[in-house]
Amino acid sequence: MVVVILAQVFYRYALNNALPWPEEASRFLMMWSTGLMAPTAFRRGGFVAIDMIIRLLPRMVATGLSVFLMGVTILVLWIALGIGWSEVTGIGGRFETDSLRVPVSLDLVTWMKVPKSWMMASMLVGVALLLLVAVELALRNLYALVRGPEGLRDIPDTVMLGSGAE
Amino acid sequence: MLSFFLPLFLVFLMLGLPVVFGLLAAPAILLWLNGQERDIVLLYRNVYEGMNSFPLMAIPFFMLAGELMNRGGISARIVGFAQAMVGHFRGGLAQVNVVDSMLFAGISGSAVADVSALGSIIIPQMEKKGYPKPFAAAITAASAIIGPIIPPSGIMIIYAYVMGESVAALFLAGIVPGVLIGIALMITIKLMANRYNLPEAMPRANWGEAARAGGAAFWPLMTPVLLMGGILSGVFTPTEAAAVAVGYSFFISIFVLRTLTWRDLPGVLTRAGITSSVVMLLVGAAMAFKTVAALAHTPELLASTLLSITENPLLLLLLVNLLLFIVGMFLDAGPAIIILGPILGPIFVSLGVDPVHFAVVMVVNLTVGLLTPPMGLVLFATSAVSGLRVETISRAVLPFLLVEFLVILLITYIPAISLTLPRLAGFVD
Amino acid sequence: QEIMLRATANSNEQDEDYDGLVVFKNYVENASNGAIGVEIFMGTQLCGKGDECLAGVADGTIDIYISTSGGAAGLFPYIQVLDLPYLMSDDRVAEEVLTGTDFTAKLRAMALADSGDTIRLMTIGNTGGWRNYANTKGRIAAPADLAGLKMRTVPADLPQTLATTLGASPTPIPWPELFTSLQTGVVEGTANGITDIMSMKFTDAGIKYLTLDGHSYMGAFWWMGNNRFKSLTPEQQQIVVDGFAALQQATFASPKRKEIQAYADFRAAGGEIYVPTAEEKAAFKAAVDPVFEWFKGNVKGGPEVLDAFTAAVAEAEAAVAADRAAELN
Ligand code: NA
Ligand code: NA
Repeated sequence: MVVVILAQVFYRYALNNALPWPEEASRFLMMWSTGLMAPTAFRRGGFVAIDMIIRLLPRMVATGLSVFLMGVTILVLWIALGIGWSEVTGIGGRFETDSLRVPVSLDLVTWMKVPKSWMMASMLVGVALLLLVAVELALRNLYALVRGPEGLRDIPDTVMLGSGAE
Repeated sequence: MLSFFLPLFLVFLMLGLPVVFGLLAAPAILLWLNGQERDIVLLYRNVYEGMNSFPLMAIPFFMLAGELMNRGGISARIVGFAQAMVGHFRGGLAQVNVVDSMLFAGISGSAVADVSALGSIIIPQMEKKGYPKPFAAAITAASAIIGPIIPPSGIMIIYAYVMGESVAALFLAGIVPGVLIGIALMITIKLMANRYNLPEAMPRANWGEAARAGGAAFWPLMTPVLLMGGILSGVFTPTEAAAVAVGYSFFISIFVLRTLTWRDLPGVLTRAGITSSVVMLLVGAAMAFKTVAALAHTPELLASTLLSITENPLLLLLLVNLLLFIVGMFLDAGPAIIILGPILGPIFVSLGVDPVHFAVVMVVNLTVGLLTPPMGLVLFATSAVSGLRVETISRAVLPFLLVEFLVILLITYIPAISLTLPRLAGFVD
Repeated sequence: QEIMLRATANSNEQDEDYDGLVVFKNYVENASNGAIGVEIFMGTQLCGKGDECLAGVADGTIDIYISTSGGAAGLFPYIQVLDLPYLMSDDRVAEEVLTGTDFTAKLRAMALADSGDTIRLMTIGNTGGWRNYANTKGRIAAPADLAGLKMRTVPADLPQTLATTLGASPTPIPWPELFTSLQTGVVEGTANGITDIMSMKFTDAGIKYLTLDGHSYMGAFWWMGNNRFKSLTPEQQQIVVDGFAALQQATFASPKRKEIQAYADFRAAGGEIYVPTAEEKAAFKAAVDPVFEWFKGNVKGGPEVLDAFTAAVAEAEAAVAADRAAELN
């Protein structure tokens, strides 16, 4: 992404020849990097939540509450998965991107415009992976509810980060 | 019926659902109860399109630049330089803590990054010199919020994106208010130092030491000069400036200062990628939330409620400061701006408040909100860095919070504080 | 109200689009005696870009939406035909093309076919008059004056090709970044209607020279979900299409009224307005010839639509000439 945008600045400023595609290409990469990294962020505890009430409750009740919250999360992601699928395969996905092309013949003579569905798939994949993570976290909670927290292996590299824009 | 999405969201939030899912679950459930299942698609689509924006890309870039600078001892150099500058004042290390945040703010766009980069260095140092740990943590948190007020700033980018303002103008407008908060905190420390007998100052750095410390921090401290210079002279746009910042910090960390090795890169990229993905999703979810607010005609309702109380801009600004302070307790600055900016901004602009001035009032207020529980990201980050409980830090931070609230009032009622720099650069008439 | 139509435009309440929508709402609600309501959402509250909004039109979450040709070109590339330069001479001809010929019907049929019968083109109005060249550097009186000028363009192919053909350096800048980019010199010029230039206060960003070459008509494409439209009774359908006819007239008239103030403001802000002579216009027209070849060769459905359009323009010119003759009699 960085290289693409630096190329854009260089071409425009140094060569006085602006390229049409870097803007869209870097957005493409940003969407995919979000889709692929968000599940890891979620797994490592990077999604901000208030844990005050949960910490005040007795352990059994607290675990029960987090199972309920996981249920809400899974429901949200499950519905998003269905919508995401119809979005990628629907009208919106059939739009051409403005400026992205890929070669469709080996001799690089024929190029085609990339459809928006290639970009929209980033969120679908992200949602699918988030759903997997949510199911894993829910199962861990259930396990802890039934058998106690012992015997669960910790998730590595747990982070304590808010939304970094702040 | 639909307007219950707001209380439902708060319930989810207090119960401990991650903000992102709360922003989506609450409106979706109400749409469903209201027989508008079809409109749930709008939520999904707005998450996607909310993230899919070129100007927003500056946020992950500034984060990556911050990570690169952070990784290899650059934070230590900045602390060293701040020590040479103000270490000899009474309450020296506390003053250093404020100044390092002001310097770091020119490199980083995020208060949370400030806490994790500087807090881990300066809190132990202060503790060793005999400062109470809660005090050390509190001043770290209170000064960290300067990060997104002095440019670059993730929150300003979000504001400009949502409100169609110029990022460059907002960046310029944040400089003086950011410095002002820093000075106010330093004065507070000075007063406290005398009253509470804070630890002795360190010996004054001589010119040679000061020059050495300045030299060590020189290249990182040039970042804001490069950024604002490049933007104002038209070499690059603010978004491109963020990419330039990444290139610059990469270059000086690897080749000039050699504080970063190639082997560190995957780790740096992963960390930046994780934090950015969280911000991006949050922005997307807030955009979706806003869509349902529009369907429920919440903006019109809130606007007319506000205007029915009073039409005096001065009183309204006070009311809005209170509103933002309360909102800041429950929402992070980014989502709060996305949801409230388009509602509040036009009211004040139509009453004659300059849009850039209002932006600064809103941004500073919500940034200070990062210090207030229950949803105080900077408190969370400081707690993680210091090992103290959030409750302890939030009590210790109270005096500084009060000072910052007074500064907010100053910024609110003296537009020149925010507007002078953008006016000189020709962004505001 | 039994039926509530949800209409959205990505502009604000000062825009021609809003004037059109208000007229539409008023007509439809009155003519249906309240049976059909229209709910207007301005700005990006529901959706922010052409592809996103048209996806909403297709699946019924949005009933009515206005896009420029750029906003819909990703799915219907041939509608960029309206962006081809110097094809129509003035408002009277353009309005005759859009009301008196079957050109809109032709586009409607193509768009329905390409969207699987989901997106229906209701009418084509205007949003912002005509596209002119505005820049920060100097007067543009001949194609050579554009040489090397950093012109802001949307990233779509046709505007890029047009700028390159004229020797300018096309620079894609997102609309929200345009003000700052003009101010700092990242770009030096832009092609917009006068009302957009003044509502964005581009004069404050250094725009000083405006050349009224009117290279393209700023068509506003009004779309409606076809399933939604078909779900109405024939009587209701007629009310809706009549509403769109009223809307079209309103959007024809509104920019003409609004630009008076905008031009005055532009001059007051120190701007220079230049009207090219007939010879200068002819020189511009000759210079853009390659764009037409490019359009025919590279745009799906290009030759077919261009033929239909030039035929419609010829027909409209004849009709306007006849009208004029009658009026001058
Ligand atoms: Na600090
Ligand atoms: Na900053």
